[in-house]
Amino acid sequence: MLPLLGGVFLGWSLGANDAANCFGSAVASRMVKFRTAAALCALFVVVGAVLQGRAGIETLKELTGVNLEQAVVITVAAALTVSIMTITGLPASTSQAAVGAILGIGFFNQDLNLAGLGKVVACWFGTPVGAVLAALALHQLLGAVYNRLPITLFQSDMLLRAGLITAGAYASYALGANNVANATAVFVGAEMLSVSAAALIGGLSIAFGVLTYSRGVMETVGRKLVRLDPFSALVVVLAGGVTVHFYTLMGVPVSTSQAVIGAVLGIGIIKGVQTIRRATLYGILAGWFLTPPVACFIAMCIYFAMHLQYVPR
Amino acid sequence: MFNFLFKKEKQLESLIYQYLDHFGQTREHFLKAMDTCLNEGICGEFVFLTDQTHKFESKADEIRDEINYMMYSRALIPESREDIMSLIEQVEVIPRIFELILHIIRTQKLKIPEFVVLEVKDLLRISAESCELVSKQIDLLLRNRQGIRVLLATIDGNESHCDHIERSLMTKIFDSDLEIVHKLQLKELIVAMGEISDQADRVSRRVNILTLKRRV
Repeated sequence: MLPLLGGVFLGWSLGANDAANCFGSAVASRMVKFRTAAALCALFVVVGAVLQGRAGIETLKELTGVNLEQAVVITVAAALTVSIMTITGLPASTSQAAVGAILGIGFFNQDLNLAGLGKVVACWFGTPVGAVLAALALHQLLGAVYNRLPITLFQSDMLLRAGLITAGAYASYALGANNVANATAVFVGAEMLSVSAAALIGGLSIAFGVLTYSRGVMETVGRKLVRLDPFSALVVVLAGGVTVHFYTLMGVPVSTSQAVIGAVLGIGIIKGVQTIRRATLYGILAGWFLTPPVACFIAMCIYFAMHLQYVPR
Repeated sequence: MFNFLFKKEKQLESLIYQYLDHFGQTREHFLKAMDTCLNEGICGEFVFLTDQTHKFESKADEIRDEINYMMYSRALIPESREDIMSLIEQVEVIPRIFELILHIIRTQKLKIPEFVVLEVKDLLRISAESCELVSKQIDLLLRNRQGIRVLLATIDGNESHCDHIERSLMTKIFDSDLEIVHKLQLKELIVAMGEISDQADRVSRRVNILTLKRRV
């Protein structure tokens, strides 16, 4: 079981970082207690991973053939990349880090599924764009319904609050279903785990990250989202969830953070205001472009270093 | 389905209506006290009604504290919390003006001259009507119903009318043969009375903004 630790660590850090995209606004605004949010998020992450995690696992597993040693290198490289990017203050996607690391090993093996890789990269471009479109559509649709509801201010408040909890649970489900592949898919490729076991272990490790270490990120990311009005915050969480779920059905792990950022940009388009500062946007773009090559480079370095041999003269 | 999650909101709604009820009671007692003062001068009945006004104003303050406490303990979403707190802060200025007016009359043993009584009664009647309309407007806001803008227009009209009466009263007072000290005392009183409709107008505008804010 020791080789699995890299995947569990990656899942844990994923849960600690990405739970904020699902329940950040509700927790930071004190609408939901952290414990309740974390419990709901963890539960739906595991349910999502077990029920719909298979497609993503199949896609990543097929990017390149790996053995157990290479699977460990991939997870460690991905986890290191996310840590380095986080320390340097650049937002990193675990999905991009995992795929970048798989590519690194794929180069060594000279075995890359280019069709599968093309699909994954296309979906990376599609994530923020899809989230913008989802936010635009949901805002118009839900807004039209909301404005016509014959409800009191208190009922409207309750509705928004219940909506945020439900949307958070749905986004957590999408997070588990989509991102579980990042943590454990390579172990399926290395024939160490079955798909179901990988989904369960990956889901549980993400849930563990949510329960043990997501509070700080939830508060920080949540406060940024809370600047939006409650209805827009609900649309952002829901649009992020819908986008990530859409790519889950396509079997491609994508970044929930990028989906949420896309949705926030969509709200900005509707309201005619700048919802994200230019510097933040540059940081996001830098993280977006740098994460895969950095992960790829680290995976290659680790793998290369592991195979250095002392040759006496 | 989610009702068990929103017990606090239900309590808060009931507290806000209690607050509005006490606001109405304060207004009623203030008007009775002023009526007594204008008809009979400062008498036992006036003192009793002044105390009653103070009692209802204090009770309204207690309810306001309870509302604030409940909101700080996570009832409502943050934006609604802020909106309701700022609205109540603005509304509670009005009962304070009621108390101030009664306090001025009681402590300064102020006698309102006969030649301004009718206009003072008019000023108070229109100001009280504005306060009642403000309560209705808040009720419409809480129930998310139409008609807030119509009330806003009426309250705005009342405010202009009150300004006109206030100016007319000032002119009459300063044109009269009253002693200068008495004139200044009456001026202070009339300015405070004029402030009721001004504040009602401010609250009304705030309610209108909150209504617009809630539309997606």
